[in-house]
Amino acid sequence: MEKQKFTDRFSTVFADQNFFKKQKRIALKNCGLIDPENIDDYIFANGYTALATVLSEMTPEDVIKSVKDSGLRGRGGAGFPTGIKWESTAKQVNDEKFVVCNADEGDPGAFMDRSVIEGDPHAIVEGMAIGAYAIGAKKGVVYLRAEYPLAIKRLQKAIEDARKANFLGKNILGSSFSFDMEIRLGAGAFVCGEETALMNSIEGKRGMPRTRPPFPSVSGLFDKPTLLNNVETWANISSIIVNGAEWFSSIGVGKSKGTKVFALAGKITNTGLAEIPMGMTLREIIYDVGGGIPNGKKFKAVQTGGPSGGCLTESMLDTTIDYESLTKAGSIMGSGGMIVIDEDACMVNIAKFFLEFTQSESCGKCVPCREGIKRMLEILTRITDGEGQTGDIEKLEELGNMIKKASLCGLGQSAPNPVLSTIKNFREEYEDHVNNKRCKCVVCEKLITYTINDKCIGCSACRRSCPVGAIAGLPKEKHTIHEDLCIKCGKCFRSCKFHAIDKTSIAKEQK
Amino acid sequence: MGTPLCILEEKRKQAKSRLEEIGYFSDTKIYIGMATCEIAAGSVPVMEIFKNELKNQKNIYISQKGCAGRCNLEPTVEIYQKDKEPVKYIQVTPEKAKTIIEKHIKNGEIITEWMGK
Repeated sequence: MEKQKFTDRFSTVFADQNFFKKQKRIALKNCGLIDPENIDDYIFANGYTALATVLSEMTPEDVIKSVKDSGLRGRGGAGFPTGIKWESTAKQVNDEKFVVCNADEGDPGAFMDRSVIEGDPHAIVEGMAIGAYAIGAKKGVVYLRAEYPLAIKRLQKAIEDARKANFLGKNILGSSFSFDMEIRLGAGAFVCGEETALMNSIEGKRGMPRTRPPFPSVSGLFDKPTLLNNVETWANISSIIVNGAEWFSSIGVGKSKGTKVFALAGKITNTGLAEIPMGMTLREIIYDVGGGIPNGKKFKAVQTGGPSGGCLTESMLDTTIDYESLTKAGSIMGSGGMIVIDEDACMVNIAKFFLEFTQSESCGKCVPCREGIKRMLEILTRITDGEGQTGDIEKLEELGNMIKKASLCGLGQSAPNPVLSTIKNFREEYEDHVNNKRCKCVVCEKLITYTINDKCIGCSACRRSCPVGAIAGLPKEKHTIHEDLCIKCGKCFRSCKFHAIDKTSIAKEQK
Repeated sequence: MGTPLCILEEKRKQAKSRLEEIGYFSDTKIYIGMATCEIAAGSVPVMEIFKNELKNQKNIYISQKGCAGRCNLEPTVEIYQKDKEPVKYIQVTPEKAKTIIEKHIKNGEIITEWMGK
């Protein structure tokens, strides 16, 4: 019970109960509670107990069994059972093996990994040392993105301190096990979060995915058997060892055990990081933990899994958070980005935003991904510019499904998801854009019309702000906007202090 | 040489005595969020104020901490006092920090309107 209390102390010591009471902190157990740059703080908070236990009392087989029994699955997004990965790497006979931590967190709006490394870097060191012991590796690499300078600094300090205290290095804690690790910096390519591209990048090659099989567990980094896990997966390991596999598998639901960290972003009151037990519904996380939508706006959709995921609608809010249910609902668990979208957002525009990202991040190796996403983006741009043609939506669906099937890595396989899921759930918005040249939510610039209403007092503020001279009118008289000249920059709308300018999107026939 | 667990136990004792030396077990502990997100929200000047204003005070431990996940409420400052409920202040500015020191730390007056819910 003493141990159980330790991981639960978050809810007891934190003052703001509303946000934390539905959470359960395992991966983030020390984040926000200890000084990340002081190893003594970590040791005193029960740190390195798992590593010492493993080295004192457990064989590598015991460790693997424990991880397998816990039911832990990869937290990077795909959800492959971690224990099976460990087991298959351990089975390989080779004089050199590696453990790798994937800390190349590239999803827009996601920052779980950064928070773990900045708040509790020793958890990664300890987790990786345990993994290395289990599979028989002597060397570890953390692939960390260069855009996280503070995380790099803190992890570097943690590694050095751990080395000094003999938690890393030769004959760790008097045992016969030796292990050391280093940081490799990623230059900010999204595709390098894909495991085979990541290993290419560490090897100094161009960051492009390799074909699988052979899987990294057979032939990974420098063609050696490699155990590659995400930051959050590694951060779970020490708790599983200390509290036992049974404790871990008692949390969660179905085939998804334990917790998942989500980065709540977008139109939600409590933006931030929340670690919740699997099996909670989307509604609970958005309304109870996240505090709902601010400014009295209505919920429209939630995007899980970042640019690789899909948009889920209000009717799917009672979906439970676990790998299978989210996939069934048409999205993915992903690495934990959760972007809440309110009624003001245009779904076509949102899909375009995500596609712009994946299009620029495609490595170019597979033709369907390189060319196909570009064509999809062209069609989407055309639609949002009011030049959509009949058949465009069907073309998007056809292309999207083809790209998913014919791409080598996760980037291409998932890039069309935001488009396909928004077409599925918000088809009428696409049709409105294509057929009526109207953006109901008044977001797509080219489909907006600015008009001056009767509240105009003729102050001329808009006329002076217009960069193209499209506004005419005498002082103290109602002004007018020449639609043919207007470039829809919105300057007049922002300059008017009397709410005299209407921003609307009118269907073409009504014009 | 004992087992790794015995060695760790020894290290934990040493860690405890080192923590004692830096005042970790003081009656008042102040934690200031210093992750990238908190720093971006302005926690560095807040930290400086706490460190400067309280540098001659005994029995107070000031430490940085990682991100607790409350992006919209940062920078956050937590104050733990012996036998009292912990208090968490949100969106702390340098000016607020000075008031917190004067009222809460020195006079034991909790400023409820600046607390997180």
